[in-house]
Amino acid sequence: MAATLTGSNTKFRDDLIRVLGAERVMDSTLERHLYAKDAGVYTGNPTVVVMIETTEEVAQVVRAARRHGIPVVARGAGTGLSAGAVPEVGGMVLVTTRMNRIEEIDTENRTAWVGPGVINLDLSAATTPFGMHFAPDPSSQSACTVGGNIACNSGGPHCLSEGSTVNHVLALEVVTDTGDVMIVGSGAPDPIGLDLRGILVGSEGTLGIVTRALVKLTPNPPDVRTMAVAFPTIEDAAATVSGIIAAGLIPAALEMMDQLMMQAIENWLHAGLPVEAGALLLAEVTGVTEAVAAEAEIITSIAHGNNALSVQVAASPEEREILWKSRKSAFGAVAQAAPDYYLHDTVVPRTRLVEAMRQVYEIGERYEIIMMNVFHAGDGNLHPLMAFDASEPGRLDKVKAAADELVELCVEKGGVLSGEHGIGIEKRHLMPLLFTEMDLDAQARVKEAFDAEGVFNPGKVLPEGSRCFDFGRPVPEGAWV
Amino acid sequence: MGYQTPYAPTRSELSSCIQCGLCLPHCPTFRLTGKETDSPRGRLTAMAAVLDGITGIDEVFAETISFCLGCRACEPVCPSMVPYGRTLEGARAEISAQRGGVTRRLRGWVMETWLGSPAIMRVITWTTALVQQTGLDRIAPRRVRSGLRGLRRIGWRTPSLRGRTFQPDQAPVATVGLLTGCIMGPWFADVHHASIALLVRAGYRVVVPSDQTCCGALAAHDGAAEGAARLAARNAAAFRGVDYVVANAAGCSAHLKDYRHWAPGEALDEGWQVRDITELVADAVEDGRLPRLEEGRGLVALQHPCHLRNAQRIVTQPQLILEAAGHRTTPIDPVCCGAAGFYSILRPDTSARLGRDKADEIRRSGATLVASANPGCEMQLRSHLAGEYRVLHPVELYLQALSNAKESQA
Repeated sequence: MAATLTGSNTKFRDDLIRVLGAERVMDSTLERHLYAKDAGVYTGNPTVVVMIETTEEVAQVVRAARRHGIPVVARGAGTGLSAGAVPEVGGMVLVTTRMNRIEEIDTENRTAWVGPGVINLDLSAATTPFGMHFAPDPSSQSACTVGGNIACNSGGPHCLSEGSTVNHVLALEVVTDTGDVMIVGSGAPDPIGLDLRGILVGSEGTLGIVTRALVKLTPNPPDVRTMAVAFPTIEDAAATVSGIIAAGLIPAALEMMDQLMMQAIENWLHAGLPVEAGALLLAEVTGVTEAVAAEAEIITSIAHGNNALSVQVAASPEEREILWKSRKSAFGAVAQAAPDYYLHDTVVPRTRLVEAMRQVYEIGERYEIIMMNVFHAGDGNLHPLMAFDASEPGRLDKVKAAADELVELCVEKGGVLSGEHGIGIEKRHLMPLLFTEMDLDAQARVKEAFDAEGVFNPGKVLPEGSRCFDFGRPVPEGAWV
Repeated sequence: MGYQTPYAPTRSELSSCIQCGLCLPHCPTFRLTGKETDSPRGRLTAMAAVLDGITGIDEVFAETISFCLGCRACEPVCPSMVPYGRTLEGARAEISAQRGGVTRRLRGWVMETWLGSPAIMRVITWTTALVQQTGLDRIAPRRVRSGLRGLRRIGWRTPSLRGRTFQPDQAPVATVGLLTGCIMGPWFADVHHASIALLVRAGYRVVVPSDQTCCGALAAHDGAAEGAARLAARNAAAFRGVDYVVANAAGCSAHLKDYRHWAPGEALDEGWQVRDITELVADAVEDGRLPRLEEGRGLVALQHPCHLRNAQRIVTQPQLILEAAGHRTTPIDPVCCGAAGFYSILRPDTSARLGRDKADEIRRSGATLVASANPGCEMQLRSHLAGEYRVLHPVELYLQALSNAKESQA
């Protein structure tokens, strides 16, 4: 805990208190410790934590931070898993949880202006009376914020049919590195000019601070059917997934979990999961009643063709809810196996799911790590969950090594680094697996264009040396420009 | 530095939190401030930080822990099943031990000695009745005014039930020991009468052990751990031999169920079985030992006390009882009403804010009656509803409905 607001930094602290008041500026040892990490495994060291409430306050504290050379790391609910909100090199953690106003719901155009601190599920709850919801539904949706979803371009089970967050954001109000406020994108479906909105979504707080967002709302489907299909093996479940897609269906969601995972969830939730089975496939189809019935029938028959043990259809909204609750609480239930966990996020082409899964278990055995699996089978987005005890010496390093191997395996098979969690600190060093020097340089130049002095979330996403001719700063000191 | 008492949060309790954050939106204090320090995850991380020597039990730690309502809404939503309530009591015991100033020690003494003594409670009851009848409650200090306003009409003296036994007509289904509690006896006598009447009618033999005392929940929640342990030991001995210990205040039944942490092993044998009154009455309705009346009584706003819903996971029983009484119910958002034991006195602002929200919701619900199975919540609701609604325990409403049905038959 070296970094504190001492020396010249006390001036910075005074500046912050002038803007926000003492209650909203936290810098005691304990307060800083509680903001040192998110829901993942990496820890940072914040210098100071501020609770912001308005765009103008963000602009003022960003200007102050820049003046004093203090990095700015934005944070929502802290449910991220790739350390995007972890202040790795110290700095000011800017907490958006109080910017949680749903400002305006436009029911005709199906859009809403919201603050970045609005909780994902609260937005859907607020729009339910109008028959709409916010489509991105990460497992943490009951807790995570829309701002965090935008930063990480979050996905979720229903992104199979709806796409990830970038498809649901129309415009953003952003505070820039100079403390200016700009709006990128617009309500129009096809904005002209360069798509800065597209660049900002998924930029993990490295380009600016989102202070308001115009999000798209999705009409609730007229009918929905959720099925839980038990299989003797992961292979049978994976073959079913391929069969469903090959049959030309795009279900709203196709989720899979293995036996260990089911057992951990069942122990907590008592949802009636088929814990004797080797794998469970959760399939959901939505649409008009006739189509839903027909698609459910096709899925059932494909499942039976692949040795399905049982097909359970949720008979009521409550039954559907508990099935989804079991899926979405999976990552928390893992603590029953060991005190620490690492929830991974990689993608393989759907066609290579079976062989990838086999290798995932093999890596678990080799590193002696409890490996549970729960994933978005429909789009090949794997989420191996490693349960371990970090207090055992060397254990965390082993887990990180296993994690790297998992990524390498997926990239080798034609997949990508991350499906939806973001890169943060966690996967930064693996970026060269997927991107050439030129790709990384292009991305680094975008970062430079937005944030030349590196105020925002420094060191995240792009590995060191991404910028070709990386001199550390764009313009030599004293140069005339 | 570090922890010093046997009540401290343990490594295994704390490491069961994996910091996923799913508890955050369910925490009323996090909802108020948006701060990690005011969330269950933050508080558990803070407790671990003390264990690891990262910080001591300083002012920031004490504030973080004492701002918690102890509603335990984080527990049912925790997939890792972290025993949050237990760790909170442990952390508060440590704060008392290490930072125990005069007021805190005095509070601990009051909670053990006053609440545990029928004689002192009689004096308090008499004084409270005097305050109530002279209208002095209107000029009472703000911290206690809300509580006083929420009280039922208090009699000068209520005859004690201790030492009495109530027999059913037929061979008893089981013997239950009724906890009369600290304030339930003198201030909520009707809830005891309804409980005994329903239990006897359901076939239970009800005993009221005379050497019982306050359950110790308020002391435990406040960090007066030694006192709480002494009270628990006395009750464990007093209730020996009954099939079930039954309490009709959710806070008491929840705490009695946690006695394994408070009463030393030998005082608490394996047969220590505790039930909230709503469990036994609901079971009896389901078994047909108590009747289901026809519909047609008013709409009841059903408040779920945190120590019923979150601590004991008793969710459906109060509704079943009210439906058996012929009432329809409308659910109220389960978030804490802000009463939270002594919290309303210690932190009147936060308490009042939550109380007002709850009262507003009840006013919008269209209900004509309010039911709550915990005395603290009942007082808070009555106070913030400013006398517009009757607020009663579900078993009282059920007994009233049974009596009315009998009269109309006769």
